[in-house]
Amino acid sequence: MAKPIPKVGSRKNRRSSARKSARRIPKGVIHVQASFHNTIVTVTDVRGRVISCFSAGTCGFKGRRRGTPFAAQTAAGNAIRAVVDQGMQRAEVLIKGPGLGRDAALRAIRRSGILLNFVRDITPMPHNGCRPPKKRRV
Amino acid sequence: MLPADIFQRLPIATVCLKPCSFPTPKPVAQFHLCTRPTRGATIRCMAKPRRVKMVAQQIRRELSDMLLTDKVLQYAVLPEAALGADRYLSSLTTISDVEVSADLQVVKVYVSVFGDERGKEVALAGLKSKAKYVRSQLGKRMKLRLTPEVRFIEDESLERGSRVIAILDRIKSKEKIAEVEDEEEFESSDSPQDDREWEDNDPDEDIIYVK
Repeated sequence: MAKPIPKVGSRKNRRSSARKSARRIPKGVIHVQASFHNTIVTVTDVRGRVISCFSAGTCGFKGRRRGTPFAAQTAAGNAIRAVVDQGMQRAEVLIKGPGLGRDAALRAIRRSGILLNFVRDITPMPHNGCRPPKKRRV
Repeated sequence: MLPADIFQRLPIATVCLKPCSFPTPKPVAQFHLCTRPTRGATIRCMAKPRRVKMVAQQIRRELSDMLLTDKVLQYAVLPEAALGADRYLSSLTTISDVEVSADLQVVKVYVSVFGDERGKEVALAGLKSKAKYVRSQLGKRMKLRLTPEVRFIEDESLERGSRVIAILDRIKSKEKIAEVEDEEEFESSDSPQDDREWEDNDPDEDIIYVK
């Protein structure tokens, strides 16, 4: 058997103090997934490791109100507030999905004072792969 | 000579029927057509409100899908996409609301654009120029008797809401600094006159895109 590859964050090497508060991240990525009935805002670092995650449901909205743009605004505001004290100044925004959260969360992010590098749309687009569900009859 | 009681004994077998003679006229349903036929023989029918809502939701889904996937619409809204810069956006278009008239003939689509003034004009002009194309695509995707006419209208409600919240945030931050001045500002901020004042220092102008 080959020698086991030492993991970076393995239990044996972990320091006893909490590592999360010691990290200062000047640059990050904000993922916004906006569906018709909910919005999820996740803040990660450049590599993709999640720092904080807020959705319209976790901000106290229930049911139909989660899909509203106001809920998306509060979710984005909460997510950024949790990260600003870690020192984030610049961010890139990745937007996925249709829905009102796209616009509203973007406006909230811009209002909060974080500089935006880029705004990208990463809605998953198949190159004609899986068969989509059947057409709805109205 | 037949006996007199033969008619009592013989059963009544046949009834002689003449083909065209009906004693009573058949009841015919009366249709009241338009009294002025020169107006055009269109009969208007109103759909039930639940169905109108379902059609509106379905149109919203289809249009959002078209905005995300259809190349023609994307080029109309964001001309840079044709050059290959489609992943790094300068403006973002969202469909915020769809209103359908009660007879399912007219659809008003409220579009909200995020970006600077030029981006907004370009996006809205592009969408309006593709209205007929959108109508034909909608007819292909949805099974409706008559495909409705599509009108694009700019929606400023999200922007206004964002501005109001920015003003409120600024007021809250000032409250922490000085309390006496805050009470006066709080009272005066209710009047709409102050909106014009705040518009001069629009918070959106200060933040620049860094590349």
